[in-house]
Amino acid sequence: MLSFILKDLKIMARDRTELLVLLLMPLILIGILGFALRGMFEGNTAALEMEVALVQLDDEEAGIEAFIEDLEESGAPDEQVQALGNAARDISPSRLLMAMFENDELEEIIAIVETDQETAESYVRNEEVAAVLTIPEHFTYDSLRKMMLDEGEGSSLALTVTEYGSLRASIFNDVISQFVRELNFETAIAQAYGGGLPLGEEAETGGRESATAADPVSSMQYYALGMAVMFVLYVSSTLSSKAFVEKKQHVFYRILLTGTHPVTYLSGKFISASLIAFLQLAILFSLSAIVFQAFTFHSINFWLGMAGISAALSLCVGALAALLTALVVRYNNDAISSIFSGGVVSLFAFVGGSFFPTDNMPAFFNFIGSWTPNGAGLAAYVQWLQGYETSVIMGSLLRIAVATVIIIVVSLLIFPRRRSTIV
Amino acid sequence: MLETEELRKVYKGTAAVDSVNLFLEKGESVGLLGPNGAGKSTTISMIASLIAPSAGDVRLNGKSVLKHPNEIRKVLGIVPQEIALYPELTAFENLKFFGRIYGLKGEALSRRVQEVLKLLGLEDRQKDLVKTYSGGMKRRINIGAALLHQPEILIMDEPTVGIDPQSRSYILDTVRKLNEEKGMTVLYTSHYMEEVERLCDRVYIMDHGKVIASGTKDELKSILSGEEAILVEMDRDYPGLVKELEADEAILQTIEIDKGLKLIVPKGSRLLGKIFQAAERHGAQISNITVQVPTLEDVFLHLTGRKLRD
Repeated sequence: MLSFILKDLKIMARDRTELLVLLLMPLILIGILGFALRGMFEGNTAALEMEVALVQLDDEEAGIEAFIEDLEESGAPDEQVQALGNAARDISPSRLLMAMFENDELEEIIAIVETDQETAESYVRNEEVAAVLTIPEHFTYDSLRKMMLDEGEGSSLALTVTEYGSLRASIFNDVISQFVRELNFETAIAQAYGGGLPLGEEAETGGRESATAADPVSSMQYYALGMAVMFVLYVSSTLSSKAFVEKKQHVFYRILLTGTHPVTYLSGKFISASLIAFLQLAILFSLSAIVFQAFTFHSINFWLGMAGISAALSLCVGALAALLTALVVRYNNDAISSIFSGGVVSLFAFVGGSFFPTDNMPAFFNFIGSWTPNGAGLAAYVQWLQGYETSVIMGSLLRIAVATVIIIVVSLLIFPRRRSTIV
Repeated sequence: MLETEELRKVYKGTAAVDSVNLFLEKGESVGLLGPNGAGKSTTISMIASLIAPSAGDVRLNGKSVLKHPNEIRKVLGIVPQEIALYPELTAFENLKFFGRIYGLKGEALSRRVQEVLKLLGLEDRQKDLVKTYSGGMKRRINIGAALLHQPEILIMDEPTVGIDPQSRSYILDTVRKLNEEKGMTVLYTSHYMEEVERLCDRVYIMDHGKVIASGTKDELKSILSGEEAILVEMDRDYPGLVKELEADEAILQTIEIDKGLKLIVPKGSRLLGKIFQAAERHGAQISNITVQVPTLEDVFLHLTGRKLRD
C-alpha cells in the first residue's frame, strides 16, 4: 500500500500542470475575489455615502414646555404632570431622530448638514445633497400630544430627494420610513399600556443583533476557504485520470500480475488522494495566511480545528477519487473524470457557496449545497472561523462523514474485481 | 510446463481466439507469429489470467490457472506491447515500485533492481525520468519490470515495436541470454519474422484467432520444401507483367513487392527464361534476380495468402 501512495505522491509532485491547477489557480482566485469583493463582506459603504440637508423648523424645547403647560392646564395631579413631562423629554421624536443619525453605522453613510429652508432648496437644485429632511414647526409638540395623549393629528416629517429612484435616495427614504414606523409602533404600544412602556427599549434590540453575534468573516478569509474547498475536488479527478492512463498503458494489468488485489489498488488511490488533498488544503491555507493575511498564526487551537475539518474533507475527496477511479476502470472511459472536473466541480462550487455566500438562496438550494463535500466543508470552516463551538460544526462534519462512507461503498461495488471484467 | 487446452475467447459473438492449443517446455524459446488482430495478445492475456477465457483452460505443471491464478502470476513475467511504466518516475523508481509490489524488500530489492539495470545496460541512466528515454531504452525498462521477481516463464508481446536496430539487437541478445544462460522459458510474439527465426526453437503461427501451423523452424519450412521463391527486382512496377505471370499455371504465387515481384514456383522449375521474355515484352528492366530458400515469411504467406505485416 505504501508503494502505491509514495508513487502517486511522486507523480503528482512532478506534474507541473496539475500543481498549477491545484495550487496556483486557487491562490490567484483567492487574491482576485478576496480584493474585488471586499466591500461585500466588510461593509464597505463608500459607494453609499451621502450628504443630507436637515431643515430644523421645530423648537424642541419650546414644544416640550408647551406640552407640559397643556398637562398642567388639564388639571392633572402634579406628580403625573411631572412624570409625563420627564417622559416627554425622554421620548421627544426630534431628539430620537437626531440620536438615530448619531448612530455609528448611519454616521458612516449619512452626513447631516443643518441648514435653512432656502439654502436646502438650492442644494436640491444643484444636487449637492441626496435629500432634504424638514422637521416642521411644532413637530415636537404635535407629536408628543399624539403619542402620549392621543390628541391632535400628530405631525409629519417632510422628505425631498434629489435623485428620485437612486440608491442613495432609496436608502435614506428607507431609514426615515423605518424610524417613523418604529415611532408609530411604539406609540401604539405605549398607549395600549397606558403610557407605561419606556420608549426606546425595543428599538435597541433588533434582528441585526443575532446576525452580528459571531465574528465577521472577511472576503479574503471567505474566498481562501471557498476556493480551497472547490479546488480540492480536482484532486479526485486528477487521480482518476491518472488511473485511466495506468489502465490504457497496461500498467494496471502489470500491477495485477504481481498478485496485487484490485481493492488494494483502489485503496491506494483513496489514501493517496486523501493525503494529496490534505497537503493541498494545508498549503493553500498557509499561503493565504502568509500572502493575504487571511488567517493569523496566533491560535494553535484554531489551526487544530482547521486541520480536523481538512482531514474530514480530504477523506471525502479520497472517496471521490476512488469512485471516479472505479468508474473509469470499469467503463474504460476518461470522459468521466473530465465531466467531473469540467462540470460537477463547478456545479458543486456554485451550490456549495464557493463563489458567493448562499445564505439568501432558497432553502432547497442551501440543502443541496450543504450535502456537497465542499459546501459542508466550507460551512464547517466558516463556523469554526467565526468562533462557534465544536458541537456546532459537527453537523457539517457528520454530513461529510456520511457522504464519504456512501461514496466508498459505491466505489467498492462498482470497481471490477473479477478478471473477466477488468480487460 | 505450460499448456493451453482448446482456449477460446468470444467478444460479441466473434471468436478472437478459437480453440488454441499450445505448450511450452521448460527452458524452451517459443515464437507466436501472426499479423495484427490474429489473437496473440488475447491468448497471452488469458495465459496470464488477466482475462477469463470463454472456454478451455490454461495449465501450469498440470494445475489449472483459472482455478489458481496466483500460481502462474508468481512464475510469470509479462512484457506488454505498451510501455507499461510511469514516465514521470525514473527507471530506478519504476523498478523499485514494481519490485516492491512483487514482494521484494530492503537490500534484496535494491540488489535485484541493480542486477536488472545492469542486464539491460541502463545503470548509468537509472536516475533519469523514463519520459526522457529513447524508445529503445523505454522498451528495455519495460522488459526489466517483468524480470524483477526472476520469473520462470517470460512472455513478451511484440517487445521491439517501433525501435531502432541497435536497441532491437540489444533486446534480442538479452532475451537469448535469459533463455540460454538463465534457463528462462520464453514465449515471444512478434510479427517480425527475422526475430522469431533468430530467437525461437519452435513456432506457432496464428491467424484469425486460430493456430494454423506449428513446429520447429525446419518443420515449418519443410511445408515449402517442394517450392522456392524467385525475387525479381525492377526499375518500377509493371502491372501488365504481373497479370501475365499470374496467369501462368507454372507459377504458384505472384506477390508484388516494392519495385519488383516475388514468385513462388515449384522447386527445380526452369522459369527464369520465361520470366526474362515476359519482362522484355512489357519493357521492364530487371536489375536483379535471386532464387531464395523458403523463409518463415514464405511459410506464413503460403498458409494465409498474405504477408505478416499486412
